[in-house]
Amino acid sequence: MNDLAAAIAAPLADVQESPKIKVRDVHFYYSGVHALKGVSMDIPEKQVTAIIGPSGCGKSTLLRIFNRIYAIYPKLEATGTVELDGENILDPGYSMNRLRSKVGMVFQKPVPFPMTIFENVAYGIRHHEKLSKPVMADRVEQALRSAALWDEVKDKLKQNALGLSGGQQQRLCIARAIALKPEVLLLDEPTSALDPIATSRIEQLVEELKSEYTIVIVTHNMQQAARVSDCTGFMYIGELIEFGDTEKIFTKPDKKQTEDYITGRFG
Amino acid sequence: MSSTGKDHIIKSYDSELSRLTGEIVRMGELSASQLESAIDVIGRRDERAARRVVDNDEAIDLLEQEISHDVVRLLALRAPMAGDLRNVFAALRIAADIERIGDYAANVAKRSIPLSMVPPIPPTKGLDYLAELAAEEVRDVLKAYHEQDAERAYQVWKDDAELDEAYTGYFRQLLTYMMEDPRNITPCTHLLFMAKNIERIGDHATNIAESVWYQVHGEPLTKQRPNRDLTSSPESVNLGDKPAK
Repeated sequence: MNDLAAAIAAPLADVQESPKIKVRDVHFYYSGVHALKGVSMDIPEKQVTAIIGPSGCGKSTLLRIFNRIYAIYPKLEATGTVELDGENILDPGYSMNRLRSKVGMVFQKPVPFPMTIFENVAYGIRHHEKLSKPVMADRVEQALRSAALWDEVKDKLKQNALGLSGGQQQRLCIARAIALKPEVLLLDEPTSALDPIATSRIEQLVEELKSEYTIVIVTHNMQQAARVSDCTGFMYIGELIEFGDTEKIFTKPDKKQTEDYITGRFG
Repeated sequence: MSSTGKDHIIKSYDSELSRLTGEIVRMGELSASQLESAIDVIGRRDERAARRVVDNDEAIDLLEQEISHDVVRLLALRAPMAGDLRNVFAALRIAADIERIGDYAANVAKRSIPLSMVPPIPPTKGLDYLAELAAEEVRDVLKAYHEQDAERAYQVWKDDAELDEAYTGYFRQLLTYMMEDPRNITPCTHLLFMAKNIERIGDHATNIAESVWYQVHGEPLTKQRPNRDLTSSPESVNLGDKPAK
């Protein structure tokens, strides 16, 4: 292989060699429904992975498996393995607290706690660490800066977070998630309730955050998946149809089903 | 044009893509006809007909503008992906190539006017063969585009070597005529430019073939194409016969 070919092949080789999350043969069942059917994929470290697919394809379910949030409901069962840095997080022995500190999640609708902006960020930190006031203030500031919200809220940290705009609330939720210094950030349709400007801010933020976090984003907006992600997985009726380099998926996907979906021919 | 055999959920998207394909085919057909008309007027030494060919080039230019507009509209409003994106991208590139083919055909017609003002010389006939090859290439590659037939496109891409070879032979023939009698220099120079224009039409046909290949396969055509146009190579100094002493 010549130098150029090696340089082109390098990012893909990285993807295969050091996945942050290794998903193998994951099945998920609820109320007799087989929602995920043997999903396997490698999520690369410090990159953005997008999961796309029509409603009900299992993409949000898969995301919820990555932090075992499904475990709060009874009679839900996931089989297979999801290794985070080589450890199976589906193993009941893997502490939920440890998992939540490593894997942060942001939902479709921003849900700030009904408390001050400062407390929204500090709340989660207090649950995991005991910090002095100045250290906590510094930590909150860092999280708000990382979430590109500091300049907008620095003078009103004691105001109720519910008074923020939708886009600001969503960035606050991101700040809240990254305040715990997670390694993985799960974003479940994080901009579907936001206007285009707030959406752009979140997308810019995702681009900045990926240097520090492994990000998995579920989105219905294919342009967004194409813009922000490095890898993309297409799911359909509980199966992962295709997974690969985003550029490849959106210009020359291997599977006809993927092409039909992303070109708007699905049905 | 459907890249997977299925229609879009939004029907008007299909109509817009079909319209784009139709415009390209129409534009290509016009350019091939223009080339044939240009060759026809040389034989007839018909100045008025030659000017008509030159004027008709505007129709091709207008079609190209229309296609560019449609492509920008599709990109902005439909945000095409995968096969659709490659279709739209190929259409834009192919339209630019066809526009150049039209320009070259018009140039051939334009040069036929001064050529008709000097006594006819035998090598003029040789231009017909070049034009025939070029027009065939253009029609073939358009068929490949219309049918999304990458293999046919590849064949055109390879076959351009025949046109290059014919051009080199013609170049040699014209040099010989010029060396034999300086009075041939003026008509032969015009013929040389016309032949070069036709040879360039073949090159644009190969560009179109590459676009069709990319459209179908999603990757560039990277094979080595034989180039038989030797007129700009160092060997070209030996292409003309030595003048008689």
